[in-house]
Amino acid sequence: MAQKKQVLVLGAGAGGLIAGNYLAANGYRVTIVEKNDYHLFQPGMLWIAFRGHDPERYMRRVTELVKPGVELVKGVVTEINLAERLVKLSDGREFSYEYLVVALGAAYDYDAVSGNRELLEKYGDFFSGAEHARRLWQAFSSMKEGTLVIAAADPGYKCPPAPHKAAFLAAETLRERGLLGKVKVVLAVPFVHEYSSENIARIVAPKLREAGIEVKTMFTVESIDVEKKKLYSLEGEELGFDVATVIPVHRGPLDKVEPETAVDEDGFFKVDKHTLRIEGYDDAYAVGDCNNTPTSKTGVTAHLGGEVVAERIMGYNAVFTGRTNCPLITDGEALFVISDYEHPPVPVRFSKFKRLLEDMFIAMYWPSLRDPEKWSPLFRAYFEATQPKILAKLGW
Amino acid sequence: MAEKIVVDARNMACPGPITKLTKAYRKAKPGDIIEVLATDPGFKPDVQAWVQRTGNELLELKEENGVIKAVIKVTAKK
Ligand SMILES: Cc1cc2nc3c(=O)[nH]c(=O)nc-3n(C[C@H](O)[C@H](O)[C@H](O)COP(=O)(O)OP(=O)(O)OC[C@H]3O[C@@H](n4cnc5c(N)ncnc54)[C@H](O)[C@@H]3O)c2cc1C
Repeated sequence: MAQKKQVLVLGAGAGGLIAGNYLAANGYRVTIVEKNDYHLFQPGMLWIAFRGHDPERYMRRVTELVKPGVELVKGVVTEINLAERLVKLSDGREFSYEYLVVALGAAYDYDAVSGNRELLEKYGDFFSGAEHARRLWQAFSSMKEGTLVIAAADPGYKCPPAPHKAAFLAAETLRERGLLGKVKVVLAVPFVHEYSSENIARIVAPKLREAGIEVKTMFTVESIDVEKKKLYSLEGEELGFDVATVIPVHRGPLDKVEPETAVDEDGFFKVDKHTLRIEGYDDAYAVGDCNNTPTSKTGVTAHLGGEVVAERIMGYNAVFTGRTNCPLITDGEALFVISDYEHPPVPVRFSKFKRLLEDMFIAMYWPSLRDPEKWSPLFRAYFEATQPKILAKLGW
Repeated sequence: MAEKIVVDARNMACPGPITKLTKAYRKAKPGDIIEVLATDPGFKPDVQAWVQRTGNELLELKEENGVIKAVIKVTAKK
Protein backbone atom coordinates (compact mmCIF):
# COMPACT_ATOMS: atom_id res chain seq x y z
CA MET A 1 0.00 0.00 0.00
CA ALA A 2 1.22 3.48 -0.79
CA GLN A 3 2.15 5.66 2.14
CA LYS A 4 -0.72 7.83 3.37
CA LYS A 5 -0.64 11.44 2.33
CA GLN A 6 0.92 14.31 4.18
CA VAL A 7 -1.50 16.97 5.46
CA LEU A 8 -0.58 20.49 6.51
CA VAL A 9 -3.09 22.05 8.92
CA LEU A 10 -2.93 25.78 9.66
CA GLY A 11 -4.30 26.76 13.07
CA ALA A 12 -4.89 24.71 16.23
CA GLY A 13 -8.35 26.05 16.99
CA ALA A 14 -11.41 23.84 17.09
CA GLY A 15 -11.49 23.13 13.34
CA GLY A 16 -7.76 22.53 12.90
CA LEU A 17 -7.41 20.22 15.93
CA ILE A 18 -10.41 18.10 14.97
CA ALA A 19 -9.26 17.71 11.35
CA GLY A 20 -5.60 17.13 12.27
CA ASN A 21 -6.19 14.69 15.12
CA TYR A 22 -8.84 12.77 13.20
CA LEU A 23 -6.47 12.33 10.25
CA ALA A 24 -3.58 11.36 12.53
CA ALA A 25 -5.80 8.71 14.15
CA ASN A 26 -6.20 7.26 10.68
CA GLY A 27 -2.53 7.08 9.84
CA TYR A 28 -1.97 10.34 7.95
CA ARG A 29 1.19 12.34 8.44
CA VAL A 30 -0.04 15.59 9.96
CA THR A 31 1.73 18.87 10.63
CA ILE A 32 -0.13 21.63 12.50
CA VAL A 33 1.15 25.22 12.48
CA GLU A 34 -0.06 27.40 15.37
CA LYS A 35 1.14 30.78 16.59
CA ASN A 36 0.05 30.47 20.23
CA ASP A 37 1.20 28.12 23.01
CA TYR A 38 -2.31 27.93 24.40
CA HIS A 39 -5.69 27.08 22.90
CA LEU A 40 -8.46 29.24 24.34
CA PHE A 41 -12.02 27.95 24.67
CA GLN A 42 -13.55 31.13 23.28
CA PRO A 43 -16.96 31.00 25.00
CA GLY A 44 -14.95 31.10 28.23
CA MET A 45 -14.22 34.77 27.57
CA LEU A 46 -17.85 35.51 28.48
CA TRP A 47 -17.36 33.94 31.89
CA ILE A 48 -14.04 35.67 32.42
CA ALA A 49 -15.44 39.07 31.45
CA PHE A 50 -18.82 38.98 33.19
CA ARG A 51 -18.50 36.40 35.97
CA GLY A 52 -14.88 36.94 36.93
CA HIS A 53 -13.76 33.39 36.18
CA ASP A 54 -10.09 32.53 36.20
CA PRO A 55 -8.81 32.51 32.57
CA GLU A 56 -6.80 29.36 33.25
CA ARG A 57 -10.01 27.38 33.37
CA TYR A 58 -10.48 27.97 29.67
CA MET A 59 -6.95 27.46 28.40
CA ARG A 60 -4.93 24.37 27.56
CA ARG A 61 -1.45 23.98 26.15
CA VAL A 62 -1.67 23.11 22.47
CA THR A 63 0.92 20.38 23.04
CA GLU A 64 -1.64 18.61 25.26
CA LEU A 65 -4.31 18.77 22.58
CA VAL A 66 -2.51 17.14 19.68
CA LYS A 67 -2.19 13.40 19.29
CA PRO A 68 1.23 11.77 19.56
CA GLY A 69 2.70 11.63 16.09
CA VAL A 70 1.31 15.00 15.00
CA GLU A 71 4.12 17.41 14.26
CA LEU A 72 3.38 20.74 15.93
CA VAL A 73 5.11 23.79 14.53
CA LYS A 74 5.02 27.04 16.44
CA GLY A 75 4.93 29.95 14.04
CA VAL A 76 2.90 32.68 12.39
CA VAL A 77 1.55 31.95 8.91
CA THR A 78 1.87 35.00 6.67
CA GLU A 79 1.21 33.71 3.19
CA ILE A 80 -0.42 30.86 1.31
CA ASN A 81 0.30 30.14 -2.33
CA LEU A 82 -2.25 27.61 -3.51
CA ALA A 83 -0.87 27.24 -7.03
CA GLU A 84 2.62 26.42 -5.76
CA ARG A 85 1.36 24.46 -2.72
CA LEU A 86 3.46 26.64 -0.47
CA VAL A 87 2.88 28.16 2.98
CA LYS A 88 5.19 30.83 4.37
CA LEU A 89 5.78 31.79 8.00
CA SER A 90 6.87 35.17 9.38
CA ASP A 91 10.32 33.82 10.27
CA GLY A 92 10.97 32.79 6.66
CA ARG A 93 10.26 29.08 7.03
CA GLU A 94 8.35 27.50 4.14
CA PHE A 95 6.19 24.40 4.04
CA SER A 96 4.84 22.47 1.10
CA TYR A 97 1.96 20.02 1.29
CA GLU A 98 -0.01 17.28 -0.39
CA TYR A 99 -3.21 18.39 1.32
CA LEU A 100 -3.81 21.74 2.99
CA VAL A 101 -6.43 22.49 5.66
CA VAL A 102 -6.72 26.19 6.47
CA ALA A 103 -8.29 26.64 9.93
CA LEU A 104 -6.97 30.05 10.96
CA GLY A 105 -10.25 31.42 12.31
CA ALA A 106 -11.40 35.00 11.83
CA ALA A 107 -9.24 38.08 12.42
CA TYR A 108 -10.47 41.38 13.82
CA ASP A 109 -10.27 44.82 12.26
CA TYR A 110 -10.25 47.28 15.16
CA ASP A 111 -9.57 50.14 12.75
CA ALA A 112 -12.73 49.67 10.69
CA VAL A 113 -14.68 51.66 13.28
CA SER A 114 -13.03 54.77 14.63
CA GLY A 115 -12.45 54.59 18.37
CA ASN A 116 -12.78 50.81 18.57
CA ARG A 117 -9.08 50.22 19.27
CA GLU A 118 -9.04 52.92 21.95
CA LEU A 119 -12.16 51.41 23.52
CA LEU A 120 -10.50 47.98 23.54
CA GLU A 121 -7.44 49.37 25.24
CA LYS A 122 -9.51 51.05 27.89
CA TYR A 123 -12.19 48.47 28.68
CA GLY A 124 -11.09 45.23 26.96
CA ASP A 125 -13.62 42.99 25.24
CA PHE A 126 -14.90 39.42 25.26
CA PHE A 127 -13.78 38.45 21.75
CA SER A 128 -10.05 38.88 21.47
CA GLY A 129 -8.33 36.87 24.15
CA ALA A 130 -8.28 36.08 27.85
CA GLU A 131 -6.31 39.20 28.74
CA HIS A 132 -8.84 41.52 27.16
CA ALA A 133 -11.69 39.60 28.80
CA ARG A 134 -9.94 40.04 32.12
CA ARG A 135 -9.64 43.77 31.49
CA LEU A 136 -13.36 43.99 30.77
CA TRP A 137 -14.09 42.19 34.05
CA GLN A 138 -11.99 44.78 35.89
CA ALA A 139 -13.93 47.65 34.29
CA PHE A 140 -17.34 46.00 34.67
CA SER A 141 -16.91 44.72 38.21
CA SER A 142 -15.82 48.12 39.49
CA MET A 143 -19.08 49.75 38.33
CA LYS A 144 -21.32 50.88 41.16
CA GLU A 145 -23.73 52.80 38.96
CA GLY A 146 -24.15 53.96 35.37
CA THR A 147 -24.62 52.20 32.06
CA LEU A 148 -22.91 49.16 30.61
CA VAL A 149 -23.34 48.91 26.84
CA ILE A 150 -22.70 45.70 24.92
CA ALA A 151 -22.73 46.35 21.17
CA ALA A 152 -21.36 45.21 17.80
CA ALA A 153 -19.68 47.00 14.90
CA ASP A 154 -21.11 44.64 12.29
CA PRO A 155 -23.86 42.03 12.09
CA GLY A 156 -21.43 39.39 10.76
CA TYR A 157 -19.74 38.43 14.04
CA LYS A 158 -19.14 34.89 15.31
CA CYS A 159 -21.55 33.08 17.59
CA PRO A 160 -24.71 35.20 17.08
CA PRO A 161 -25.97 34.78 20.68
CA ALA A 162 -22.63 35.81 22.25
CA PRO A 163 -23.63 39.42 23.10
CA HIS A 164 -26.97 38.21 24.47
CA LYS A 165 -25.17 35.71 26.70
CA ALA A 166 -22.87 38.53 27.75
CA ALA A 167 -25.85 40.66 28.78
CA PHE A 168 -27.49 37.83 30.72
CA LEU A 169 -24.29 37.02 32.58
CA ALA A 170 -23.64 40.69 33.36
CA ALA A 171 -27.19 41.08 34.70
CA GLU A 172 -26.74 37.96 36.84
CA THR A 173 -23.58 39.35 38.42
CA LEU A 174 -25.24 42.71 39.07
CA ARG A 175 -28.31 41.07 40.60
CA GLU A 176 -26.16 39.04 42.98
CA ARG A 177 -24.43 42.22 44.06
CA GLY A 178 -27.69 44.12 44.47
CA LEU A 179 -26.61 46.56 41.77
CA LEU A 180 -29.02 45.75 38.94
CA GLY A 181 -30.94 48.93 38.23
CA LYS A 182 -28.20 51.14 39.61
CA VAL A 183 -26.10 49.72 36.84
CA LYS A 184 -28.14 49.51 33.66
CA VAL A 185 -27.31 46.83 31.08
CA VAL A 186 -27.96 47.93 27.50
CA LEU A 187 -27.66 45.39 24.70
CA ALA A 188 -27.43 47.09 21.29
CA VAL A 189 -27.92 44.69 18.40
CA PRO A 190 -27.32 45.33 14.68
CA PHE A 191 -30.56 43.54 13.80
CA VAL A 192 -34.15 44.60 13.20
CA HIS A 193 -35.31 42.34 16.04
CA GLU A 194 -33.82 41.47 19.44
CA TYR A 195 -32.00 38.54 17.84
CA SER A 196 -30.75 38.00 14.29
CA SER A 197 -33.51 35.48 13.57
CA GLU A 198 -37.06 36.62 14.28
CA ASN A 199 -38.08 33.11 15.44
CA ILE A 200 -35.56 33.27 18.23
CA ALA A 201 -36.12 36.98 18.93
CA ARG A 202 -39.70 36.18 19.92
CA ILE A 203 -38.49 33.69 22.53
CA VAL A 204 -35.57 35.71 23.81
CA ALA A 205 -37.17 39.17 24.05
CA PRO A 206 -39.34 38.41 27.13
CA LYS A 207 -36.36 36.77 28.85
CA LEU A 208 -34.24 39.84 28.29
CA ARG A 209 -36.99 42.02 29.73
CA GLU A 210 -37.35 39.73 32.78
CA ALA A 211 -33.63 39.94 33.38
CA GLY A 212 -33.81 43.73 33.35
CA ILE A 213 -31.79 44.12 30.17
CA GLU A 214 -32.60 47.05 27.90
CA VAL A 215 -32.39 46.24 24.21
CA LYS A 216 -31.66 48.67 21.42
CA THR A 217 -32.35 47.22 17.97
CA MET A 218 -30.85 48.35 14.66
CA PHE A 219 -27.78 49.81 16.30
CA THR A 220 -24.66 48.99 14.29
CA VAL A 221 -21.72 50.88 15.79
CA GLU A 222 -20.17 53.24 13.27
CA SER A 223 -17.89 55.26 15.50
CA ILE A 224 -16.94 55.58 19.14
CA ASP A 225 -15.97 58.65 21.14
CA VAL A 226 -14.14 57.21 24.13
CA GLU A 227 -13.60 60.63 25.70
CA LYS A 228 -17.26 61.70 25.54
CA LYS A 229 -18.35 58.11 26.25
CA LYS A 230 -20.66 57.82 23.29
CA LEU A 231 -21.37 55.21 20.64
CA TYR A 232 -22.76 56.39 17.31
CA SER A 233 -24.65 54.04 15.00
CA LEU A 234 -24.77 53.65 11.27
CA GLU A 235 -28.54 53.96 11.62
CA GLY A 236 -28.08 57.49 12.94
CA GLU A 237 -28.50 57.19 16.70
CA GLU A 238 -26.26 57.51 19.75
CA LEU A 239 -25.86 55.75 23.08
CA GLY A 240 -24.05 57.04 26.13
CA PHE A 241 -22.07 54.65 28.35
CA ASP A 242 -19.91 54.40 31.42
CA VAL A 243 -18.38 51.12 30.34
CA ALA A 244 -18.82 49.77 26.82
CA THR A 245 -17.59 46.88 24.77
CA VAL A 246 -18.02 46.64 21.01
CA ILE A 247 -17.56 43.43 19.05
CA PRO A 248 -15.11 44.37 16.26
CA VAL A 249 -15.57 43.95 12.52
CA HIS A 250 -14.39 40.47 11.47
CA ARG A 251 -12.26 39.67 8.45
CA GLY A 252 -10.27 36.82 6.93
CA PRO A 253 -7.05 35.75 8.70
CA LEU A 254 -4.36 36.50 6.06
CA ASP A 255 -3.29 39.49 4.01
CA LYS A 256 -1.51 37.42 1.42
CA VAL A 257 -3.23 34.62 -0.43
CA GLU A 258 -2.27 33.55 -3.94
CA PRO A 259 -4.38 33.66 -6.05
CA GLU A 260 -6.35 36.59 -4.63
CA THR A 261 -9.51 35.12 -6.11
CA ALA A 262 -9.42 32.37 -3.46
CA VAL A 263 -10.71 34.85 -0.86
CA ASP A 264 -13.75 37.15 -0.88
CA GLU A 265 -13.68 40.92 -0.40
CA ASP A 266 -13.46 40.52 3.38
CA GLY A 267 -10.64 37.98 3.13
CA PHE A 268 -12.64 34.84 3.88
CA PHE A 269 -11.73 31.73 1.90
CA LYS A 270 -14.22 30.98 -0.87
CA VAL A 271 -15.21 27.34 -0.50
CA ASP A 272 -17.78 24.97 -1.86
CA LYS A 273 -20.31 25.11 0.96
CA HIS A 274 -20.80 21.33 1.07
CA THR A 275 -17.25 19.99 0.56
CA LEU A 276 -15.35 22.98 2.07
CA ARG A 277 -12.83 22.74 -0.75
CA ILE A 278 -11.26 26.07 -1.66
CA GLU A 279 -12.69 27.13 -5.03
CA GLY A 280 -10.54 25.91 -7.88
CA TYR A 281 -8.33 23.54 -5.84
CA ASP A 282 -8.86 19.88 -5.02
CA ASP A 283 -6.03 19.66 -2.49
CA ALA A 284 -6.93 22.60 -0.23
CA TYR A 285 -9.77 23.09 2.26
CA ALA A 286 -10.83 25.87 4.61
CA VAL A 287 -12.85 25.07 7.74
CA GLY A 288 -14.48 27.06 10.49
CA ASP A 289 -14.51 30.83 10.91
CA CYS A 290 -12.01 31.49 8.10
CA ASN A 291 -14.29 30.34 5.26
CA ASN A 292 -17.22 32.08 3.58
CA THR A 293 -19.97 29.47 4.08
CA PRO A 294 -23.35 31.17 4.51
CA THR A 295 -23.84 29.94 8.06
CA SER A 296 -23.06 31.33 11.50
CA LYS A 297 -19.43 31.24 12.55
CA THR A 298 -19.47 28.88 15.54
CA GLY A 299 -17.37 26.23 17.25
CA VAL A 300 -19.89 23.58 16.27
CA THR A 301 -19.59 24.59 12.63
CA ALA A 302 -15.79 24.39 12.87
CA HIS A 303 -16.00 21.04 14.65
CA LEU A 304 -18.36 19.46 12.09
CA GLY A 305 -16.44 21.04 9.22
CA GLY A 306 -13.18 19.60 10.58
CA GLU A 307 -14.68 16.13 10.52
CA VAL A 308 -16.04 16.56 7.00
CA VAL A 309 -12.67 17.70 5.66
CA ALA A 310 -10.80 14.86 7.39
CA GLU A 311 -13.23 12.31 5.97
CA ARG A 312 -13.03 13.79 2.48
CA ILE A 313 -9.24 13.57 2.59
CA MET A 314 -9.66 9.93 3.68
CA GLY A 315 -11.73 9.38 0.55
CA TYR A 316 -15.28 9.41 1.93
CA ASN A 317 -18.04 11.50 0.42
CA ALA A 318 -18.77 13.50 3.60
CA VAL A 319 -20.91 16.61 3.25
CA PHE A 320 -21.15 19.73 5.42
CA THR A 321 -24.78 20.71 6.04
CA GLY A 322 -24.20 24.16 7.55
CA ARG A 323 -25.48 22.93 10.89
CA THR A 324 -25.29 25.32 13.86
CA ASN A 325 -25.98 24.68 17.53
CA CYS A 326 -25.44 27.93 19.41
CA PRO A 327 -26.28 27.87 23.08
CA LEU A 328 -28.08 30.87 24.50
CA ILE A 329 -27.72 30.88 28.24
CA THR A 330 -29.76 32.77 30.78
CA ASP A 331 -29.87 32.33 34.50
CA GLY A 332 -30.00 28.54 34.92
CA GLU A 333 -31.63 27.84 31.57
CA ALA A 334 -30.52 27.49 27.97
CA LEU A 335 -31.72 26.92 24.44
CA PHE A 336 -29.83 26.04 21.29
CA VAL A 337 -30.15 28.02 18.10
CA ILE A 338 -30.33 25.18 15.59
CA SER A 339 -30.25 25.69 11.83
CA ASP A 340 -28.65 24.44 8.63
CA TYR A 341 -28.35 25.54 4.99
CA GLU A 342 -31.89 24.37 4.22
CA HIS A 343 -33.59 25.51 7.42
CA PRO A 344 -33.60 28.83 9.26
CA PRO A 345 -33.33 28.64 13.08
CA VAL A 346 -36.17 26.54 14.45
CA PRO A 347 -38.24 27.82 17.35
CA VAL A 348 -37.20 25.95 20.50
CA ARG A 349 -37.83 26.44 24.20
CA PHE A 350 -35.60 27.46 27.07
CA SER A 351 -35.12 24.69 29.60
CA LYS A 352 -32.98 23.66 32.56
CA PHE A 353 -32.22 20.38 30.81
CA LYS A 354 -30.57 22.19 27.91
CA ARG A 355 -28.46 24.13 30.36
CA LEU A 356 -27.22 20.80 31.73
CA LEU A 357 -26.58 19.59 28.21
CA GLU A 358 -24.52 22.72 27.50
CA ASP A 359 -22.44 22.14 30.64
CA MET A 360 -21.88 18.60 29.39
CA PHE A 361 -20.79 19.84 25.94
CA ILE A 362 -18.31 22.16 27.62
CA ALA A 363 -16.93 19.27 29.70
CA MET A 364 -16.55 17.20 26.52
CA TYR A 365 -14.78 19.99 24.67
CA TRP A 366 -11.16 19.17 25.50
CA PRO A 367 -11.31 15.38 25.06
CA SER A 368 -13.29 15.75 21.83
CA LEU A 369 -10.60 18.00 20.31
CA ARG A 370 -7.88 15.50 21.02
CA ASP A 371 -9.75 12.29 20.24
CA PRO A 372 -12.41 13.21 17.67
CA GLU A 373 -12.56 9.65 16.35
CA LYS A 374 -13.82 8.45 19.77
CA TRP A 375 -16.33 11.20 20.46
CA SER A 376 -17.69 11.63 16.98
CA PRO A 377 -20.38 8.88 17.22
CA LEU A 378 -21.89 10.52 20.30
CA PHE A 379 -21.99 13.97 18.69
CA ARG A 380 -23.39 12.46 15.54
CA ALA A 381 -26.27 10.84 17.42
CA TYR A 382 -27.12 14.22 18.96
CA PHE A 383 -26.91 16.09 15.64
CA GLU A 384 -28.95 13.39 13.88
CA ALA A 385 -31.71 13.55 16.48
CA THR A 386 -31.84 17.34 16.50
CA GLN A 387 -31.81 18.01 12.75
CA PRO A 388 -33.74 21.20 12.03
CA LYS A 389 -35.89 19.37 9.51
CA ILE A 390 -37.17 17.16 12.36
CA LEU A 391 -37.30 19.85 15.05
CA ALA A 392 -39.11 22.30 12.77
CA LYS A 393 -42.15 20.05 13.10
CA LEU A 394 -41.70 18.72 16.62
CA GLY A 395 -40.27 21.72 18.44
CA TRP A 396 -37.82 21.00 21.28
CA MET B 1 -20.82 61.00 -7.91
CA ALA B 2 -23.88 59.06 -6.77
CA GLU B 3 -23.77 55.38 -7.52
CA LYS B 4 -26.20 52.52 -7.78
CA ILE B 5 -25.32 49.59 -5.54
CA VAL B 6 -27.05 46.28 -6.14
CA VAL B 7 -27.29 43.88 -3.21
CA ASP B 8 -28.31 40.41 -4.28
CA ALA B 9 -29.57 38.56 -1.21
CA ARG B 10 -31.75 36.09 -3.03
CA ASN B 11 -31.92 32.64 -1.43
CA MET B 12 -30.43 33.97 1.79
CA ALA B 13 -32.38 33.28 4.94
CA CYS B 14 -33.11 36.05 7.38
CA PRO B 15 -31.21 38.07 8.58
CA GLY B 16 -28.95 37.74 5.52
CA PRO B 17 -30.65 40.43 3.43
CA ILE B 18 -30.61 43.11 6.15
CA THR B 19 -27.05 42.18 7.07
CA LYS B 20 -26.00 42.67 3.45
CA LEU B 21 -27.92 45.94 3.28
CA THR B 22 -26.14 47.14 6.44
CA LYS B 23 -22.76 46.27 4.92
CA ALA B 24 -23.63 48.12 1.71
CA TYR B 25 -24.96 51.10 3.66
CA ARG B 26 -21.69 51.43 5.58
CA LYS B 27 -19.85 52.00 2.30
CA ALA B 28 -22.55 54.10 0.61
CA LYS B 29 -22.34 57.85 0.04
CA PRO B 30 -25.16 60.39 0.29
CA GLY B 31 -27.30 60.24 -2.83
CA ASP B 32 -26.39 56.64 -3.69
CA ILE B 33 -29.15 54.22 -4.62
CA ILE B 34 -29.14 50.80 -2.98
CA GLU B 35 -31.20 48.12 -4.66
CA VAL B 36 -31.77 44.95 -2.62
CA LEU B 37 -33.14 41.73 -4.06
CA ALA B 38 -34.34 39.12 -1.57
CA THR B 39 -36.50 36.04 -1.42
CA ASP B 40 -36.89 35.81 2.35
CA PRO B 41 -40.48 36.93 3.15
CA GLY B 42 -39.30 38.50 6.42
CA PHE B 43 -37.31 41.04 4.42
CA LYS B 44 -40.36 43.15 3.54
CA PRO B 45 -41.34 44.24 7.06
CA ASP B 46 -37.66 44.33 8.06
CA VAL B 47 -36.64 46.75 5.33
CA GLN B 48 -39.59 48.99 6.15
CA ALA B 49 -38.54 49.09 9.80
CA TRP B 50 -34.95 49.76 8.74
CA VAL B 51 -35.86 52.65 6.45
CA GLN B 52 -38.01 54.18 9.14
CA ARG B 53 -35.25 53.93 11.74
CA THR B 54 -32.46 55.20 9.53
CA GLY B 55 -34.52 57.92 7.84
CA ASN B 56 -33.51 57.02 4.31
CA GLU B 57 -35.93 57.14 1.43
CA LEU B 58 -37.69 54.01 0.17
CA LEU B 59 -38.24 54.64 -3.53
CA GLU B 60 -39.71 51.28 -4.34
CA LEU B 61 -40.79 48.08 -2.61
CA LYS B 62 -42.39 45.37 -4.65
CA GLU B 63 -42.68 41.63 -4.94
CA GLU B 64 -42.57 39.84 -8.27
CA ASN B 65 -42.33 36.09 -8.82
CA GLY B 66 -41.30 35.58 -5.23
CA VAL B 67 -38.51 38.16 -5.41
CA ILE B 68 -38.76 41.22 -3.19
CA LYS B 69 -37.09 44.31 -4.60
CA ALA B 70 -36.37 47.31 -2.41
CA VAL B 71 -34.86 50.48 -3.83
CA ILE B 72 -33.45 52.85 -1.25
CA LYS B 73 -32.03 56.33 -1.73
CA VAL B 74 -29.34 57.22 0.78
CA THR B 75 -30.57 60.52 2.16
CA ALA B 76 -29.74 60.22 5.87
CA LYS B 77 -25.95 60.16 5.58
CA LYS B 78 -24.00 63.34 5.91
C1 LIG C 1 -17.40 35.16 23.17
C2 LIG C 1 -17.55 33.99 22.25
C3 LIG C 1 -18.47 33.01 22.56
C4 LIG C 1 -18.64 31.93 21.71
N1 LIG C 1 -19.55 30.98 22.07
C5 LIG C 1 -19.71 29.90 21.28
C6 LIG C 1 -20.61 28.87 21.66
O1 LIG C 1 -21.23 28.90 22.70
N2 LIG C 1 -20.78 27.82 20.81
C7 LIG C 1 -20.10 27.74 19.64
O2 LIG C 1 -20.28 26.76 18.91
N3 LIG C 1 -19.22 28.70 19.27
C8 LIG C 1 -19.02 29.76 20.06
N4 LIG C 1 -18.11 30.74 19.69
C9 LIG C 1 -17.44 30.66 18.39
C10 LIG C 1 -16.27 29.70 18.36
O3 LIG C 1 -15.40 29.95 19.42
C11 LIG C 1 -15.55 29.82 17.04
O4 LIG C 1 -16.48 29.79 16.01
C12 LIG C 1 -14.54 28.69 16.86
O5 LIG C 1 -13.50 28.83 17.78
C13 LIG C 1 -14.01 28.66 15.44
O6 LIG C 1 -13.01 27.69 15.31
P1 LIG C 1 -11.88 27.82 14.22
O7 LIG C 1 -11.07 26.59 14.35
O8 LIG C 1 -12.47 28.15 12.92
O9 LIG C 1 -11.05 29.11 14.63
P2 LIG C 1 -10.29 29.43 16.00
O10 LIG C 1 -10.79 28.58 17.10
O11 LIG C 1 -10.32 30.89 16.15
O12 LIG C 1 -8.80 28.94 15.72
C14 LIG C 1 -7.91 29.60 14.87
C15 LIG C 1 -6.50 29.24 15.33
O13 LIG C 1 -5.57 29.71 14.37
C16 LIG C 1 -4.52 30.37 15.03
N5 LIG C 1 -4.00 31.39 14.12
C17 LIG C 1 -4.65 32.47 13.64
N6 LIG C 1 -3.88 33.15 12.77
C18 LIG C 1 -2.70 32.48 12.72
C19 LIG C 1 -1.52 32.66 11.96
N7 LIG C 1 -1.37 33.69 11.11
N8 LIG C 1 -0.52 31.77 12.11
C20 LIG C 1 -0.63 30.71 12.96
N9 LIG C 1 -1.75 30.49 13.68
C21 LIG C 1 -2.77 31.36 13.57
C22 LIG C 1 -5.14 30.97 16.28
O14 LIG C 1 -4.19 31.22 17.28
C23 LIG C 1 -6.13 29.88 16.66
O15 LIG C 1 -5.57 28.92 17.52
C24 LIG C 1 -17.88 31.84 20.53
C25 LIG C 1 -16.94 32.81 20.22
C26 LIG C 1 -16.76 33.88 21.08
C27 LIG C 1 -15.74 34.93 20.74
